Amino acid sequence: MGNVGDLGAFGAWLSDGANWTGRYGLLNLIVEHLALTALSLLIAALIAIPVGLFIGHTGRGEIFVVGLGSLSRAIPTMGLLFALVLLLGVEFRELSVLLALSTIALPPLIAGAYSGVTTIPPSIRDSATAQGMTTWQLVRHVEVPLASPSLIGGLRIAFIQVVSTVVLAPLVGLGGLGFGIIQGLALRNYAQVTVSSLVIIVITITGERLIGFWQHRTKARLTPLDKLENP
Amino acid sequence: MEWFLANWSFIAGLAATHLSISIGPVIIGAILSVVLARVIPLRFVPPTRAVLGAIYAIPSLALFVALPAILGTKFIGPTNVLIALTLYVITSMYFSARDAFAQVPGAAVTTSRALGMSPRQLLLHVELPLAIPGLIAGLRVATASTISIASIGAVVGVRNLGYLFLDGFQRKIPEEIISGLVAIAVIALAFDVSLWLLGRALTPWRRLTVRTTPVRSSTVRRG
Repeated sequence: MGNVGDLGAFGAWLSDGANWTGRYGLLNLIVEHLALTALSLLIAALIAIPVGLFIGHTGRGEIFVVGLGSLSRAIPTMGLLFALVLLLGVEFRELSVLLALSTIALPPLIAGAYSGVTTIPPSIRDSATAQGMTTWQLVRHVEVPLASPSLIGGLRIAFIQVVSTVVLAPLVGLGGLGFGIIQGLALRNYAQVTVSSLVIIVITITGERLIGFWQHRTKARLTPLDKLENP
Repeated sequence: MEWFLANWSFIAGLAATHLSISIGPVIIGAILSVVLARVIPLRFVPPTRAVLGAIYAIPSLALFVALPAILGTKFIGPTNVLIALTLYVITSMYFSARDAFAQVPGAAVTTSRALGMSPRQLLLHVELPLAIPGLIAGLRVATASTISIASIGAVVGVRNLGYLFLDGFQRKIPEEIISGLVAIAVIALAFDVSLWLLGRALTPWRRLTVRTTPVRSSTVRRG
């Protein structure tokens, strides 16, 4: 440990009640951080999952998915956030940031839903159709359940992208846990910087592990089907 | 466009910093990934996967400023950014390096052993060349994401292309932010094409037979 001498400073910072409460207190920033992340993922999922399922089901617009994937790979999320907030307007900051974060979450979610549907073995879809399932039943009872591990995998990547960008929200005038880093760096209050970064790290890894666990559970539930398909 | 033309030498300077901060981590990270992929025994693969997966998820800005508490480095400046970027390269390239070596046909390895090759010869003349397609595929992904993440270094005082985002936002010049986005995309694309060509040049035998290597697109990280 490098700055062992600073441990006292962290303790002092943490035990000062003033750092926990108020508009920019740790508690408020944690809530804001989680709300921004969850809301933007929700907005993105409402758009991306139907689009991905539709493209996977019909096979129409596959080029769109591939193009979106490679385009999004070359564009830094930081620049995207700043450009979108500036162009959408700084008057409705919260809305602009939410829309920017949702945009960042779209490509992995669409890709997850799309690849989940396209990797379903044709024999399963065919037998569902042969049993007289309507298109809606096929989507609802066959494609969505079988695509869910890949879909949740897309959510995991989207979560990582969004969380790493939410940290930059204070740079465009919002709060969230990145605030402690930005303010701390400006004021050279390094105890505040370190505490904020550690809280961010703990929250992110916990969230990522929870989604990973959910994906694992969903996949395990489908394993018997896998064995039927490739004994 | 006008803004870009009026400030192109300024942008070129930032691009130079951007490159110098990205290239080192990519090279060192790639070498470490290959070494780790070779030396970590099978039973330590799951814990390695867990640790690297966790590091991969950490937001870059948080990692930049958490490193000083662990390593005793300064908060502002390039050191933390270089270390963090190297870690991110390893988190994505370690897995593709393992896959790349796993794809080497077993017959090639056993034949070379039967011919009396030493483990070193086997690695240098058989396994490494045959793993190149997978290694290059992983390197392309890691390079693109490193160039992209490096821009966040601007927040901790590394004046690279990410500075255009901060400055453009504060001064309300959308062209400045877009210039930064385009410059980063162009650099990433140039590296991608160069690495693809390098991969082709290093594997002349592949042009005779068509074989595709799956790319782990899910390990792309941008921010």
